[in-house]
Amino acid sequence: MNIIVLIKQVPDMEKVKFDREKGVIDRKSAGTEINPFDLNALEAAIQLKDKDDNVHVTALSMGPPSAESALKEAIARGADEGILLSDRTFGGADTWATSLTLAAGIKNIGIYDLIIAGMQTVDGDTGQVGPEIAELLDIPHISYVSEIEEVGSKFRGKVDIWDGTYLKEMELPGLITVTKDINDPRLPSFKDKMKSRKAEIPVWSYETLEEYLNGEKIGIKGSPTVVKKIEVPKATTRKGKLWRENIDQAVDEMIEIFKEIKVLEG
Amino acid sequence: MFFYFNFMVEPIIQRDKYNPKGKISAIMVEPIINIKFKEDQMNSKIIDKMIGIVGEDWVVSSAKEVESYIKDETEEAIAPEPCYDCIVVKPRTTEEVSKIMKYANSEKITVVVRGGGTGCAGAVVPVKPSIILSTERMNQILEIDDNNMMVYCEAGVTLFDLEEEFKKHDSLFFPVHPGDEGAQVGGMIVQNAGGVRAVRHGVMRNHVKGLEIVLPTGEIIKTGGKLIKDNTGYDLTHLMIGSEGTLGIVTKAYLKLYPKSSNSGSLLISFDDKKSAIEVVPKILKKGITPLAIEYLERQFMEKSADDLGLKWPAEKGKVDLYFILDEKKQDDLYEVSEKIVEECEKNGAVDSLIAETYKEQRAILEIRSHGYPSVQSQVVDILDVCVPIGSINDYMDGIEMLSKKYNAYIPSFGHVGDGNIHNFIITEDGTKPENYEDLSEEIFKLAVGLGGTITAEHGVGKIRNSRLKLQYTDKHLDILRQIKKVFDPEDILNPETGITSL
Repeated sequence: MNIIVLIKQVPDMEKVKFDREKGVIDRKSAGTEINPFDLNALEAAIQLKDKDDNVHVTALSMGPPSAESALKEAIARGADEGILLSDRTFGGADTWATSLTLAAGIKNIGIYDLIIAGMQTVDGDTGQVGPEIAELLDIPHISYVSEIEEVGSKFRGKVDIWDGTYLKEMELPGLITVTKDINDPRLPSFKDKMKSRKAEIPVWSYETLEEYLNGEKIGIKGSPTVVKKIEVPKATTRKGKLWRENIDQAVDEMIEIFKEIKVLEG
Repeated sequence: MFFYFNFMVEPIIQRDKYNPKGKISAIMVEPIINIKFKEDQMNSKIIDKMIGIVGEDWVVSSAKEVESYIKDETEEAIAPEPCYDCIVVKPRTTEEVSKIMKYANSEKITVVVRGGGTGCAGAVVPVKPSIILSTERMNQILEIDDNNMMVYCEAGVTLFDLEEEFKKHDSLFFPVHPGDEGAQVGGMIVQNAGGVRAVRHGVMRNHVKGLEIVLPTGEIIKTGGKLIKDNTGYDLTHLMIGSEGTLGIVTKAYLKLYPKSSNSGSLLISFDDKKSAIEVVPKILKKGITPLAIEYLERQFMEKSADDLGLKWPAEKGKVDLYFILDEKKQDDLYEVSEKIVEECEKNGAVDSLIAETYKEQRAILEIRSHGYPSVQSQVVDILDVCVPIGSINDYMDGIEMLSKKYNAYIPSFGHVGDGNIHNFIITEDGTKPENYEDLSEEIFKLAVGLGGTITAEHGVGKIRNSRLKLQYTDKHLDILRQIKKVFDPEDILNPETGITSL
């Protein structure tokens, strides 16, 4: 079985700073990491590989040349190989242009049975790229999967949405996006980490994928949506007030404040 | 009489800790209404005097409020019985501290200084009617001197404040991290705090370069400064470090800073048996490898801690783990050092080696490690804190195994194997002191001292280990310590019955 895992390199959101004035992420303020949900996707693939030696896992990413390190990391964590889609013309893509490019990469890989992606990225939070790729490839897909099971030739996914739980089945080839509840991603063994540092990551450019791509529909040019500004709400802080003399007045004032901030009903 | 209302304009919204986007489980609005001076116990003359020095808002005397100032993190089974007949005074300045001490000294009133209350040996627990002097308002970072690589700050600055400040700093950091970030600089100094990073950076003692001290008699003295070398007279800075709040009140301190390295990683290396894991530690240190931390962790114990936090301990193979925290200037150095460590461990029978590099994964391991103690806290009678020479840890562990059989007790071990400081727990099902507690703990202390070790590595003598001092020191030695105390504190008003003073 051939599994493709979609990987995105994202800023370390625990450390990243936002430039409030310009309304952008200051990418230099933090290191990068693999999108945490993609680690769950990778772990899901590796668990299938643990059960069956014939499973081959390819990690696929679109990004700048520096995203090579995320793919090496995927190899350290158990992927058999990594492929990077990188070209200046891919830059500035929104979810639609990204999906078109990744779908082209998948078509260029050719043979695949299952594609696994994280439910969303922590720097974009749209959750659109996985399902869009499936639609572009015209294959079935299940989103927000928290448990998977192979049932004969089909894949069954458990999906928790709001208060309901769905069991969905799909034929292969198909695509699933996974939540963090599906597994606990393992740490790489030190040996695999060292091996992965020497791994060669093929880089596929626009030229490589030309047969599957329309140059007008990729990158910033092909993006119908654009992020104009990011607004980060300021953290609210605790406030205090001291009444020394008139306690009745204090109680009245407090009740007014509680009403105003809607912590007293009725 | 006056009323103090404290309310939060923002309600506290409580969500599932591990699912911050999940359902809101509770909304709390918490108006706290305290009526002051309802249960005055201490002499009102003392209270008036204190109000005169620090102002009405900063003197606390109601039993309910005082209660949160009279305990620390010492296990209940062995903690000293606190005295409730106390008032809490919160000075803002050194001058106020000085006035309080002058008054207390003239009236012979006991004073107990309190920092973050994170100690584990009852040093800050008042055992007689006292003025509790809380340094919480003396919380300013006064200067960060990049050229001299020093920070000058007040005693009430917390470890959290320091960590936050240096997160923002481009190139410098303060290396000591004993654990609980509520700890205050003053407390960390007089307790000579240690913690996991001591393998590379040592303990507080290695980083305190100068102090401002208010003596029990109220005079203010200054020691050291932004100096690397200073040989003038006896070193009172070092006498204050580890004095457990008995010799003077630290009000300000110069602390040494270090350049940050940006490539950190954590290794978890698993072994089938304790002996192989412990034996490899001096071999690694001898190679000139100095990680920030080397921790010895028993699997059963870490799995329980992880389970408690809703996390998973990453290592599966083997029975015990060595946990290395590394921090190197270059990424290549990190891997090179890791490779040497793994190689040495494998030679010594390691069965698996994992590496964590992301902030989140490294933090998860540290969080599980740090939660080891809280996860069993309700069962812990005593957390021992001995230190032996690194080369003798295996003999010590053999001894613990023998005692565990002799007393039919489960004595888990974990801790700072890289500096010889192993924490052993004496545990019972409900945390009550077992009948043989005194004998068992005495034997553990004797075992450590017999190997050239000490009865306390980082927690201090406090008010719980006084009776064991004789296992380690001669009468003459103890006599010198007592004479020193007398010179500083002739009326014995400052934190009596702590450290060496109650002999």
